[in-house]
Amino acid sequence: MTAPDPMRLGLPDLGIGVGLRLPHYEEIFETRPKVDWFEIISENFLVPGGAPLANLERALAHYPVIQHGVSLSIGGTTPIDFDFLRSLRALIRRTKSPWVSDHLCWTGTATVNTHDLLPLPYTAEVVRHVAARARIVQDTLEVPLALENVSSYLTYTSSDMTEWDFVKAVVEEANCGVLLDVNNIYVSSENHGFDPRTYVDAIPAERVVQIHLAGHTNYGDYIIDTHSGPVIDPVWELYRRAIRRVGPVSTLIEWDEDIPPLATLLAEAERARVVREEVLSHAK
Amino acid sequence: MRNDLASVQAFLASVIPNRAAATGDPALAETAARFVTGNARLTPAAQVDIYRRQFWYRHREVLRDDFSALARLLGDPKMDAFCRDFLDAHPPAHAPFRKMLEPVPHFAATWPGFETDAARTFAADMARYEIALLDVRAAADAPPLDPQKLASLPEDAWERARIVLHPAVQRLAFSYPVHRIRKAWLVAGEPAIVPETPSPAHIALYRSRELVTHFEELEPEAFTLLSLLAEGAALVPALGRLAEPLPEERQEHIAASVGRWFQQWTTLGIVVDVELPSSS
Repeated sequence: MTAPDPMRLGLPDLGIGVGLRLPHYEEIFETRPKVDWFEIISENFLVPGGAPLANLERALAHYPVIQHGVSLSIGGTTPIDFDFLRSLRALIRRTKSPWVSDHLCWTGTATVNTHDLLPLPYTAEVVRHVAARARIVQDTLEVPLALENVSSYLTYTSSDMTEWDFVKAVVEEANCGVLLDVNNIYVSSENHGFDPRTYVDAIPAERVVQIHLAGHTNYGDYIIDTHSGPVIDPVWELYRRAIRRVGPVSTLIEWDEDIPPLATLLAEAERARVVREEVLSHAK
Repeated sequence: MRNDLASVQAFLASVIPNRAAATGDPALAETAARFVTGNARLTPAAQVDIYRRQFWYRHREVLRDDFSALARLLGDPKMDAFCRDFLDAHPPAHAPFRKMLEPVPHFAATWPGFETDAARTFAADMARYEIALLDVRAAADAPPLDPQKLASLPEDAWERARIVLHPAVQRLAFSYPVHRIRKAWLVAGEPAIVPETPSPAHIALYRSRELVTHFEELEPEAFTLLSLLAEGAALVPALGRLAEPLPEERQEHIAASVGRWFQQWTTLGIVVDVELPSSS
Protein backbone atom coordinates (compact mmCIF):
# COMPACT_ATOMS: atom_id res chain seq x y z
CA MET A 1 0.00 0.00 0.00
CA THR A 2 1.34 3.44 -0.97
CA ALA A 3 1.58 6.00 1.79
CA PRO A 4 -0.35 9.21 1.12
CA ASP A 5 1.76 11.91 -0.52
CA PRO A 6 2.81 14.26 2.27
CA MET A 7 3.35 17.06 -0.24
CA ARG A 8 0.63 19.37 -1.64
CA LEU A 9 -1.68 18.25 1.18
CA GLY A 10 -2.09 15.08 -0.88
CA LEU A 11 -3.63 17.06 -3.75
CA PRO A 12 -2.75 16.20 -7.35
CA ASP A 13 -0.06 17.82 -9.47
CA LEU A 14 -2.01 18.95 -12.53
CA GLY A 15 1.05 20.14 -14.46
CA ILE A 16 1.14 23.51 -16.24
CA GLY A 17 -2.01 25.59 -16.70
CA VAL A 18 -3.07 29.03 -17.87
CA GLY A 19 -5.88 31.38 -16.91
CA LEU A 20 -9.04 30.87 -18.95
CA ARG A 21 -9.77 34.32 -20.34
CA LEU A 22 -12.52 35.57 -22.67
CA PRO A 23 -10.35 36.65 -25.66
CA HIS A 24 -9.05 33.07 -25.99
CA TYR A 25 -12.32 31.15 -25.61
CA GLU A 26 -13.07 30.44 -29.26
CA GLU A 27 -9.51 29.43 -30.12
CA ILE A 28 -9.30 27.16 -27.08
CA PHE A 29 -12.62 25.48 -27.79
CA GLU A 30 -11.85 25.05 -31.48
CA THR A 31 -8.21 23.96 -31.31
CA ARG A 32 -8.06 22.34 -27.84
CA PRO A 33 -4.45 23.37 -27.23
CA LYS A 34 -2.03 21.30 -25.18
CA VAL A 35 -2.63 22.79 -21.74
CA ASP A 36 -2.81 20.58 -18.67
CA TRP A 37 -5.48 22.64 -16.91
CA PHE A 38 -7.20 26.01 -16.74
CA GLU A 39 -7.81 28.34 -13.84
CA ILE A 40 -10.97 30.43 -13.72
CA ILE A 41 -11.81 33.46 -11.64
CA SER A 42 -14.68 31.99 -9.62
CA GLU A 43 -16.61 35.25 -9.37
CA ASN A 44 -16.95 35.47 -13.17
CA PHE A 45 -18.99 32.28 -13.10
CA LEU A 46 -21.20 32.94 -10.08
CA VAL A 47 -24.10 33.73 -12.40
CA PRO A 48 -27.42 31.97 -13.00
CA GLY A 49 -26.62 30.77 -16.54
CA GLY A 50 -26.05 31.97 -20.08
CA ALA A 51 -22.76 32.31 -21.90
CA PRO A 52 -20.43 32.26 -18.86
CA LEU A 53 -21.63 28.86 -17.66
CA ALA A 54 -21.96 27.49 -21.20
CA ASN A 55 -18.32 28.40 -21.84
CA LEU A 56 -17.30 26.87 -18.54
CA GLU A 57 -18.99 23.62 -19.54
CA ARG A 58 -17.10 23.66 -22.83
CA ALA A 59 -13.82 23.97 -20.94
CA LEU A 60 -14.79 21.30 -18.42
CA ALA A 61 -15.54 18.85 -21.22
CA HIS A 62 -11.83 18.73 -22.11
CA TYR A 63 -9.74 20.12 -19.25
CA PRO A 64 -9.50 20.17 -15.46
CA VAL A 65 -10.60 23.58 -14.18
CA ILE A 66 -9.42 25.04 -10.88
CA GLN A 67 -11.25 27.86 -9.14
CA HIS A 68 -9.42 30.96 -7.99
CA GLY A 69 -11.26 33.74 -6.19
CA VAL A 70 -10.71 37.43 -5.60
CA SER A 71 -13.43 38.48 -3.17
CA LEU A 72 -13.26 36.17 -0.15
CA SER A 73 -11.62 38.90 1.96
CA ILE A 74 -10.36 36.32 4.42
CA GLY A 75 -8.69 39.05 6.48
CA GLY A 76 -11.74 41.29 6.54
CA THR A 77 -13.46 42.30 9.74
CA THR A 78 -16.99 42.06 8.37
CA PRO A 79 -18.88 38.80 8.95
CA ILE A 80 -18.17 35.89 6.61
CA ASP A 81 -20.60 35.98 3.69
CA PHE A 82 -22.18 32.54 3.78
CA ASP A 83 -24.40 33.25 0.76
CA PHE A 84 -21.23 33.83 -1.23
CA LEU A 85 -19.69 30.63 0.14
CA ARG A 86 -22.79 28.65 -0.78
CA SER A 87 -22.67 29.89 -4.37
CA LEU A 88 -18.94 29.15 -4.45
CA ARG A 89 -19.62 25.63 -3.22
CA ALA A 90 -22.26 25.13 -5.92
CA LEU A 91 -19.69 26.16 -8.52
CA ILE A 92 -17.14 23.75 -7.00
CA ARG A 93 -19.66 20.95 -7.48
CA ARG A 94 -19.89 21.92 -11.14
CA THR A 95 -16.14 22.28 -11.77
CA LYS A 96 -15.04 19.47 -9.41
CA SER A 97 -12.10 21.70 -8.54
CA PRO A 98 -10.05 19.62 -6.06
CA TRP A 99 -9.08 22.76 -4.19
CA VAL A 100 -10.04 26.44 -4.32
CA SER A 101 -7.86 29.42 -3.76
CA ASP A 102 -8.20 33.05 -2.81
CA HIS A 103 -5.91 35.70 -1.43
CA LEU A 104 -4.45 36.23 2.01
CA CYS A 105 -5.71 39.77 2.17
CA TRP A 106 -8.71 41.99 2.85
CA THR A 107 -10.76 43.80 0.22
CA GLY A 108 -13.06 46.19 2.06
CA THR A 109 -15.23 47.10 5.01
CA ALA A 110 -18.96 47.05 5.61
CA THR A 111 -19.40 50.22 3.56
CA VAL A 112 -16.65 50.18 0.92
CA ASN A 113 -15.35 47.41 -1.29
CA THR A 114 -12.04 48.48 -2.85
CA HIS A 115 -11.98 45.46 -5.18
CA ASP A 116 -8.28 45.33 -4.38
CA LEU A 117 -6.19 42.73 -2.56
CA LEU A 118 -4.90 44.72 0.39
CA PRO A 119 -2.18 43.35 2.65
CA LEU A 120 -2.79 42.56 6.30
CA PRO A 121 -0.76 43.66 9.30
CA TYR A 122 1.57 40.80 10.22
CA THR A 123 0.74 40.16 13.88
CA ALA A 124 -0.18 37.15 16.01
CA GLU A 125 -3.64 38.65 16.57
CA VAL A 126 -4.27 38.85 12.81
CA VAL A 127 -2.94 35.29 12.36
CA ARG A 128 -5.59 34.06 14.80
CA HIS A 129 -8.32 36.15 13.15
CA VAL A 130 -7.53 34.98 9.62
CA ALA A 131 -6.92 31.34 10.55
CA ALA A 132 -10.25 31.11 12.38
CA ARG A 133 -12.07 32.46 9.31
CA ALA A 134 -10.11 30.22 6.94
CA ARG A 135 -11.09 27.14 8.94
CA ILE A 136 -14.77 28.10 8.65
CA VAL A 137 -14.46 28.78 4.93
CA GLN A 138 -12.66 25.50 4.29
CA ASP A 139 -15.26 23.61 6.30
CA THR A 140 -18.12 25.27 4.39
CA LEU A 141 -16.60 24.75 0.95
CA GLU A 142 -15.79 21.11 1.69
CA VAL A 143 -12.58 21.23 -0.36
CA PRO A 144 -9.11 22.37 0.71
CA LEU A 145 -8.54 26.12 0.63
CA ALA A 146 -5.24 27.53 -0.61
CA LEU A 147 -4.35 31.08 0.37
CA GLU A 148 -2.23 33.14 -2.00
CA ASN A 149 0.42 35.60 -0.87
CA VAL A 150 -0.43 38.99 -2.39
CA SER A 151 1.74 41.70 -3.87
CA SER A 152 1.85 44.69 -1.57
CA TYR A 153 2.67 48.34 -1.99
CA LEU A 154 2.67 49.30 1.68
CA THR A 155 3.63 47.86 5.05
CA TYR A 156 2.04 48.55 8.42
CA THR A 157 3.54 50.10 11.53
CA SER A 158 1.75 47.44 13.59
CA SER A 159 3.41 44.46 11.86
CA ASP A 160 5.78 42.62 14.16
CA MET A 161 6.73 39.63 12.03
CA THR A 162 7.88 39.04 8.46
CA GLU A 163 5.38 38.30 5.72
CA TRP A 164 6.72 34.76 5.26
CA ASP A 165 6.39 34.03 8.99
CA PHE A 166 2.86 35.42 8.84
CA VAL A 167 1.89 33.22 5.85
CA LYS A 168 3.39 30.16 7.53
CA ALA A 169 1.60 30.85 10.82
CA VAL A 170 -1.78 31.41 9.13
CA VAL A 171 -1.75 28.30 6.95
CA GLU A 172 -0.49 26.10 9.77
CA GLU A 173 -3.07 27.38 12.25
CA ALA A 174 -5.83 27.13 9.62
CA ASN A 175 -4.53 23.81 8.32
CA CYS A 176 -4.92 25.01 4.75
CA GLY A 177 -2.79 25.17 1.64
CA VAL A 178 -0.61 27.83 0.06
CA LEU A 179 -0.95 29.20 -3.44
CA LEU A 180 2.58 30.47 -3.82
CA ASP A 181 2.67 33.44 -6.18
CA VAL A 182 6.32 33.72 -7.07
CA ASN A 183 5.86 36.97 -8.96
CA ASN A 184 4.11 38.49 -5.95
CA ILE A 185 7.10 37.58 -3.78
CA TYR A 186 9.38 39.31 -6.26
CA VAL A 187 7.15 42.40 -6.49
CA SER A 188 6.87 42.77 -2.71
CA SER A 189 10.60 42.14 -2.23
CA GLU A 190 11.39 45.01 -4.59
CA ASN A 191 8.78 47.27 -2.98
CA HIS A 192 9.84 46.56 0.58
CA GLY A 193 13.49 45.62 0.24
CA PHE A 194 13.81 42.02 1.38
CA ASP A 195 15.52 39.01 -0.15
CA PRO A 196 12.85 37.03 -2.05
CA ARG A 197 14.90 33.85 -1.68
CA THR A 198 14.47 34.02 2.09
CA TYR A 199 10.70 34.13 1.55
CA VAL A 200 10.66 31.14 -0.80
CA ASP A 201 12.88 29.16 1.59
CA ALA A 202 10.60 29.85 4.57
CA ILE A 203 7.28 28.77 3.09
CA PRO A 204 6.07 25.40 4.42
CA ALA A 205 6.82 23.33 1.32
CA GLU A 206 4.38 20.54 2.07
CA ARG A 207 1.45 23.00 2.03
CA VAL A 208 2.13 24.51 -1.39
CA VAL A 209 -0.62 23.17 -3.66
CA GLN A 210 -0.26 25.59 -6.54
CA ILE A 211 2.15 28.18 -7.94
CA HIS A 212 1.35 31.37 -9.86
CA LEU A 213 3.68 33.05 -12.33
CA ALA A 214 2.98 36.40 -13.99
CA GLY A 215 4.43 39.58 -15.35
CA HIS A 216 4.30 42.95 -13.61
CA THR A 217 4.87 46.66 -14.28
CA ASN A 218 7.82 48.56 -12.86
CA TYR A 219 7.06 52.23 -12.16
CA GLY A 220 10.51 53.05 -10.84
CA ASP A 221 9.73 53.80 -7.21
CA TYR A 222 7.47 50.78 -6.97
CA ILE A 223 6.26 47.72 -8.88
CA ILE A 224 2.62 46.82 -9.47
CA ASP A 225 1.41 43.27 -9.99
CA THR A 226 -0.42 43.99 -13.24
CA HIS A 227 -0.31 40.47 -14.74
CA SER A 228 0.86 42.07 -17.96
CA GLY A 229 3.82 41.02 -20.08
CA PRO A 230 5.98 37.94 -19.80
CA VAL A 231 7.51 36.55 -16.61
CA ILE A 232 10.89 38.20 -16.06
CA ASP A 233 14.13 36.27 -15.52
CA PRO A 234 14.50 36.94 -11.76
CA VAL A 235 11.00 35.49 -11.29
CA TRP A 236 11.93 32.40 -13.31
CA GLU A 237 14.93 32.04 -11.00
CA LEU A 238 12.65 32.21 -7.96
CA TYR A 239 10.37 29.64 -9.60
CA ARG A 240 13.32 27.28 -10.00
CA ARG A 241 14.11 27.75 -6.33
CA ALA A 242 10.49 27.16 -5.34
CA ILE A 243 10.20 23.96 -7.41
CA ARG A 244 13.42 22.65 -5.86
CA ARG A 245 11.71 23.05 -2.46
CA VAL A 246 8.14 22.00 -3.17
CA GLY A 247 8.60 19.46 -5.98
CA PRO A 248 6.05 18.92 -8.75
CA VAL A 249 3.30 21.44 -8.00
CA SER A 250 0.57 22.64 -10.37
CA THR A 251 1.84 25.84 -11.95
CA LEU A 252 -0.19 28.55 -13.65
CA ILE A 253 0.69 31.47 -15.92
CA GLU A 254 -1.52 34.51 -15.24
CA TRP A 255 -1.87 37.19 -17.92
CA ASP A 256 -4.76 39.63 -17.40
CA GLU A 257 -3.71 42.98 -18.85
CA ASP A 258 -2.76 43.52 -22.51
CA ILE A 259 -3.76 39.90 -23.00
CA PRO A 260 -1.61 38.48 -25.82
CA PRO A 261 -2.55 35.97 -28.53
CA LEU A 262 -3.10 32.50 -27.12
CA ALA A 263 0.11 31.27 -28.79
CA THR A 264 2.16 33.74 -26.71
CA LEU A 265 0.49 32.64 -23.50
CA LEU A 266 1.02 28.99 -24.37
CA ALA A 267 4.67 29.65 -25.14
CA GLU A 268 5.04 31.10 -21.64
CA ALA A 269 3.35 28.00 -20.21
CA GLU A 270 5.72 25.82 -22.21
CA ARG A 271 8.65 27.70 -20.73
CA ALA A 272 7.28 26.95 -17.26
CA ARG A 273 7.03 23.29 -18.21
CA VAL A 274 10.64 23.20 -19.41
CA VAL A 275 11.91 25.00 -16.30
CA ARG A 276 9.94 22.74 -13.99
CA GLU A 277 11.06 19.53 -15.71
CA GLU A 278 14.65 20.72 -15.74
CA VAL A 279 14.61 21.38 -11.99
CA LEU A 280 12.77 18.16 -11.18
CA SER A 281 15.12 16.06 -13.33
CA HIS A 282 18.14 17.49 -11.49
CA ALA A 283 16.49 16.78 -8.17
CA LYS A 284 16.16 13.04 -8.97
CA MET B 1 -5.30 56.18 18.21
CA ARG B 2 -6.21 52.48 17.96
CA ASN B 3 -4.07 50.48 15.60
CA ASP B 4 -5.99 47.22 15.51
CA LEU B 5 -7.07 45.48 12.30
CA ALA B 6 -10.49 47.14 12.12
CA SER B 7 -8.97 50.61 12.61
CA VAL B 8 -6.35 50.03 9.91
CA GLN B 9 -9.02 48.82 7.51
CA ALA B 10 -11.43 51.64 8.34
CA PHE B 11 -8.70 54.21 7.67
CA LEU B 12 -7.64 52.75 4.33
CA ALA B 13 -11.22 52.16 3.18
CA SER B 14 -11.96 55.82 3.88
CA VAL B 15 -8.93 57.09 1.94
CA ILE B 16 -8.63 54.73 -1.03
CA PRO B 17 -11.87 55.86 -2.78
CA ASN B 18 -10.87 59.55 -2.50
CA ARG B 19 -10.21 61.50 -5.64
CA ALA B 20 -7.65 63.74 -3.88
CA ALA B 21 -4.15 62.44 -3.12
CA ALA B 22 -3.32 61.62 0.50
CA THR B 23 0.09 63.20 -0.10
CA GLY B 24 -1.61 66.54 -0.71
CA ASP B 25 -3.46 66.56 2.61
CA PRO B 26 -1.17 67.13 5.63
CA ALA B 27 -3.70 65.81 8.17
CA LEU B 28 -4.30 62.68 6.12
CA ALA B 29 -0.57 62.20 5.57
CA GLU B 30 -0.05 62.40 9.33
CA THR B 31 -2.75 59.79 9.97
CA ALA B 32 -1.30 57.57 7.22
CA ALA B 33 2.05 57.64 9.02
CA ARG B 34 0.42 56.16 12.13
CA PHE B 35 -0.70 53.09 10.20
CA VAL B 36 1.74 52.77 7.30
CA THR B 37 5.54 52.67 7.47
CA GLY B 38 6.60 54.19 4.15
CA ASN B 39 10.10 53.43 2.91
CA ALA B 40 13.20 55.20 1.62
CA ARG B 41 11.47 56.00 -1.69
CA LEU B 42 7.86 56.58 -0.68
CA THR B 43 6.20 58.29 2.27
CA PRO B 44 3.34 56.45 4.02
CA ALA B 45 0.84 58.70 2.21
CA ALA B 46 2.52 57.99 -1.13
CA GLN B 47 2.16 54.26 -0.48
CA VAL B 48 -1.54 54.70 0.32
CA ASP B 49 -1.90 56.71 -2.88
CA ILE B 50 -0.76 53.70 -4.94
CA TYR B 51 -3.90 51.89 -3.81
CA ARG B 52 -5.98 55.03 -4.33
CA ARG B 53 -4.86 55.26 -7.96
CA GLN B 54 -5.44 51.55 -8.51
CA PHE B 55 -8.98 51.97 -7.13
CA TRP B 56 -9.65 54.68 -9.71
CA TYR B 57 -8.14 52.82 -12.67
CA ARG B 58 -9.96 49.59 -11.80
CA HIS B 59 -13.43 51.11 -11.39
CA ARG B 60 -13.07 53.48 -14.31
CA GLU B 61 -12.24 50.47 -16.49
CA VAL B 62 -15.29 48.56 -15.27
CA LEU B 63 -17.58 51.53 -15.92
CA ARG B 64 -16.09 52.20 -19.36
CA ASP B 65 -16.35 48.53 -20.36
CA ASP B 66 -19.89 48.01 -19.14
CA PHE B 67 -21.19 51.36 -20.40
CA SER B 68 -19.32 51.53 -23.67
CA ALA B 69 -22.03 53.48 -25.52
CA LEU B 70 -22.28 56.00 -22.68
CA ALA B 71 -18.49 56.32 -22.79
CA ARG B 72 -18.66 56.87 -26.55
CA LEU B 73 -21.28 59.58 -26.07
CA LEU B 74 -19.26 61.42 -23.45
CA GLY B 75 -15.74 60.98 -24.84
CA ASP B 76 -12.74 60.20 -22.61
CA PRO B 77 -12.35 63.35 -20.47
CA LYS B 78 -16.08 63.71 -19.80
CA MET B 79 -16.50 59.98 -19.15
CA ASP B 80 -13.69 60.30 -16.59
CA ALA B 81 -15.57 63.16 -14.93
CA PHE B 82 -18.77 61.10 -14.97
CA CYS B 83 -16.96 58.13 -13.38
CA ARG B 84 -15.30 60.33 -10.74
CA ASP B 85 -18.62 61.92 -9.78
CA PHE B 86 -20.36 58.55 -9.79
CA LEU B 87 -17.75 56.88 -7.58
CA ASP B 88 -17.87 59.85 -5.17
CA ALA B 89 -21.64 59.49 -4.93
CA HIS B 90 -21.75 55.69 -4.96
CA PRO B 91 -18.50 54.14 -3.75
CA PRO B 92 -18.71 50.37 -4.33
CA ALA B 93 -19.96 48.60 -1.23
CA HIS B 94 -20.26 45.02 -2.48
CA ALA B 95 -17.96 42.48 -4.08
CA PRO B 96 -19.94 41.86 -7.29
CA PHE B 97 -19.29 44.67 -9.76
CA ARG B 98 -22.84 44.22 -11.03
CA LYS B 99 -24.15 45.77 -7.80
CA MET B 100 -21.97 48.83 -8.31
CA LEU B 101 -23.66 49.45 -11.68
CA GLU B 102 -27.23 49.60 -10.38
CA PRO B 103 -27.35 53.33 -9.54
CA VAL B 104 -25.78 54.40 -12.88
CA PRO B 105 -29.05 55.07 -14.78
CA HIS B 106 -30.48 57.23 -12.00
CA PHE B 107 -27.14 58.96 -11.57
CA ALA B 108 -27.01 59.69 -15.31
CA ALA B 109 -30.56 61.07 -15.18
CA THR B 110 -29.44 63.75 -12.71
CA TRP B 111 -25.78 64.31 -13.60
CA PRO B 112 -25.13 68.03 -14.11
CA GLY B 113 -22.35 67.28 -16.60
CA PHE B 114 -24.96 66.73 -19.30
CA GLU B 115 -25.95 70.00 -20.94
CA THR B 116 -29.66 69.30 -21.35
CA ASP B 117 -32.44 67.32 -19.73
CA ALA B 118 -32.84 65.50 -23.04
CA ALA B 119 -29.22 64.32 -22.84
CA ARG B 120 -29.79 63.15 -19.28
CA THR B 121 -32.90 61.19 -20.29
CA PHE B 122 -31.04 59.68 -23.22
CA ALA B 123 -28.04 58.72 -21.05
CA ALA B 124 -30.28 57.13 -18.42
CA ASP B 125 -32.03 55.09 -21.13
CA MET B 126 -28.68 53.99 -22.55
CA ALA B 127 -27.34 53.04 -19.10
CA ARG B 128 -30.47 50.97 -18.41
CA TYR B 129 -30.07 49.23 -21.75
CA GLU B 130 -26.39 48.47 -21.17
CA ILE B 131 -27.13 46.96 -17.74
CA ALA B 132 -29.92 44.88 -19.30
CA LEU B 133 -27.46 43.54 -21.88
CA LEU B 134 -25.19 42.32 -19.08
CA ASP B 135 -28.09 40.69 -17.26
CA VAL B 136 -29.51 38.94 -20.31
CA ARG B 137 -26.13 37.38 -21.13
CA ALA B 138 -25.76 35.76 -17.70
CA ALA B 139 -29.40 35.07 -16.77
CA ALA B 140 -30.65 31.58 -15.99
CA ASP B 141 -31.19 29.03 -18.73
CA ALA B 142 -34.48 27.34 -19.61
CA PRO B 143 -35.37 24.48 -21.94
CA PRO B 144 -37.21 25.54 -25.12
CA LEU B 145 -40.98 25.35 -25.42
CA ASP B 146 -42.22 21.82 -26.09
CA PRO B 147 -44.48 22.10 -29.17
CA GLN B 148 -46.26 18.85 -28.24
CA LYS B 149 -47.20 20.27 -24.87
CA LEU B 150 -48.59 23.35 -26.60
CA ALA B 151 -50.56 21.24 -29.10
CA SER B 152 -52.03 19.05 -26.38
CA LEU B 153 -53.48 21.94 -24.35
CA PRO B 154 -57.30 21.81 -24.08
CA GLU B 155 -59.21 24.61 -25.80
CA ASP B 156 -60.19 26.30 -22.57
CA ALA B 157 -56.61 26.25 -21.25
CA TRP B 158 -55.86 29.86 -22.22
CA GLU B 159 -58.39 31.05 -19.61
CA ARG B 160 -56.14 29.76 -16.85
CA ALA B 161 -52.78 28.82 -18.36
CA ARG B 162 -49.77 30.76 -17.15
CA ILE B 163 -47.36 31.59 -19.92
CA VAL B 164 -43.77 31.25 -18.77
CA LEU B 165 -41.20 33.62 -20.27
CA HIS B 166 -37.53 32.76 -20.58
CA PRO B 167 -35.79 34.02 -17.41
CA ALA B 168 -33.34 36.03 -19.53
CA VAL B 169 -36.07 38.12 -21.18
CA GLN B 170 -36.11 41.80 -20.24
CA ARG B 171 -38.89 44.18 -21.16
CA LEU B 172 -37.64 47.73 -21.60
CA ALA B 173 -39.40 50.98 -22.44
CA PHE B 174 -37.28 53.93 -23.56
CA SER B 175 -37.78 57.55 -24.48
CA TYR B 176 -35.14 57.08 -27.20
CA PRO B 177 -34.46 53.98 -29.32
CA VAL B 178 -31.14 53.39 -27.57
CA HIS B 179 -31.08 49.75 -28.66
CA ARG B 180 -30.75 50.78 -32.31
CA ILE B 181 -28.56 53.78 -31.54
CA ARG B 182 -26.05 51.74 -29.54
CA LYS B 183 -25.70 49.30 -32.42
CA ALA B 184 -25.23 52.16 -34.88
CA TRP B 185 -22.52 53.72 -32.71
CA LEU B 186 -20.59 50.66 -31.65
CA VAL B 187 -21.10 48.27 -34.57
CA ALA B 188 -21.58 50.58 -37.56
CA GLY B 189 -19.27 53.27 -36.14
CA GLU B 190 -21.74 56.10 -36.63
CA PRO B 191 -21.04 59.39 -34.78
CA ALA B 192 -22.31 59.44 -31.19
CA ILE B 193 -24.91 62.19 -31.19
CA VAL B 194 -28.05 62.39 -29.07
CA PRO B 195 -31.11 62.51 -31.40
CA GLU B 196 -32.82 65.89 -31.53
CA THR B 197 -36.19 64.50 -30.57
CA PRO B 198 -37.29 61.56 -28.43
CA SER B 199 -38.84 58.56 -30.13
CA PRO B 200 -40.31 56.19 -27.55
CA ALA B 201 -39.51 52.52 -27.98
CA HIS B 202 -40.63 49.29 -26.36
CA ILE B 203 -38.44 46.24 -26.70
CA ALA B 204 -37.99 42.70 -25.49
CA LEU B 205 -34.32 41.92 -24.99
CA TYR B 206 -33.75 38.19 -25.19
CA ARG B 207 -31.17 35.52 -25.80
CA SER B 208 -31.25 33.04 -28.66
CA ARG B 209 -30.56 29.33 -28.15
CA GLU B 210 -27.03 30.09 -29.41
CA LEU B 211 -26.73 32.51 -26.43
CA VAL B 212 -26.64 35.56 -28.67
CA THR B 213 -28.50 38.63 -27.35
CA HIS B 214 -31.14 40.21 -29.60
CA PHE B 215 -33.81 42.87 -29.28
CA GLU B 216 -37.32 42.72 -30.66
CA GLU B 217 -39.26 45.93 -31.01
CA LEU B 218 -42.81 45.63 -29.69
CA GLU B 219 -45.99 47.58 -30.20
CA PRO B 220 -46.98 49.29 -26.93
CA GLU B 221 -49.91 46.88 -26.48
CA ALA B 222 -47.70 43.86 -27.08
CA PHE B 223 -45.24 45.25 -24.53
CA THR B 224 -48.01 45.63 -21.94
CA LEU B 225 -49.33 42.14 -22.66
CA LEU B 226 -45.86 40.66 -22.27
CA SER B 227 -45.50 42.52 -18.96
CA LEU B 228 -48.83 41.15 -17.71
CA LEU B 229 -47.78 37.63 -18.69
CA ALA B 230 -44.46 38.11 -16.92
CA GLU B 231 -46.40 39.07 -13.78
CA GLY B 232 -48.18 35.70 -13.96
CA ALA B 233 -51.53 36.62 -15.50
CA ALA B 234 -53.12 33.97 -17.72
CA LEU B 235 -53.45 34.88 -21.40
CA VAL B 236 -57.19 35.51 -21.64
CA PRO B 237 -57.49 37.57 -18.42
CA ALA B 238 -54.34 39.46 -19.42
CA LEU B 239 -55.91 40.32 -22.77
CA GLY B 240 -59.01 41.49 -20.94
CA ARG B 241 -56.99 43.78 -18.67
CA LEU B 242 -55.03 45.07 -21.66
CA ALA B 243 -58.07 45.82 -23.82
CA GLU B 244 -60.46 47.18 -21.21
CA PRO B 245 -59.25 50.81 -21.07
CA LEU B 246 -58.59 51.04 -24.82
CA PRO B 247 -60.87 52.40 -27.57
CA GLU B 248 -62.66 49.85 -29.73
CA GLU B 249 -60.31 50.34 -32.65
CA ARG B 250 -57.26 49.34 -30.54
CA GLN B 251 -59.18 46.44 -29.03
CA GLU B 252 -59.82 45.14 -32.53
CA HIS B 253 -56.16 45.61 -33.37
CA ILE B 254 -55.15 43.55 -30.33
CA ALA B 255 -57.61 40.81 -31.20
CA ALA B 256 -56.21 40.69 -34.71
CA SER B 257 -52.58 40.73 -33.55
CA VAL B 258 -52.37 38.52 -30.50
CA GLY B 259 -51.97 35.28 -32.45
CA ARG B 260 -49.08 36.76 -34.41
CA TRP B 261 -47.44 38.16 -31.27
CA PHE B 262 -47.67 34.84 -29.48
CA GLN B 263 -46.29 32.95 -32.45
CA GLN B 264 -43.43 35.40 -32.69
CA TRP B 265 -42.61 35.06 -28.98
CA THR B 266 -42.61 31.28 -29.14
CA THR B 267 -40.45 31.29 -32.29
CA LEU B 268 -37.89 33.63 -30.71
CA GLY B 269 -37.73 31.59 -27.52
CA ILE B 270 -39.25 34.36 -25.41
CA VAL B 271 -42.02 31.98 -24.31
CA VAL B 272 -40.62 28.71 -22.95
CA ASP B 273 -43.56 27.02 -21.26
CA VAL B 274 -47.30 27.06 -20.67
CA GLU B 275 -48.34 25.91 -17.21
CA LEU B 276 -51.85 24.79 -16.37
CA PRO B 277 -52.73 25.18 -12.70
CA SER B 278 -53.94 21.94 -11.13
CA SER B 279 -57.76 21.60 -11.28
CA SER B 280 -58.00 21.11 -7.50
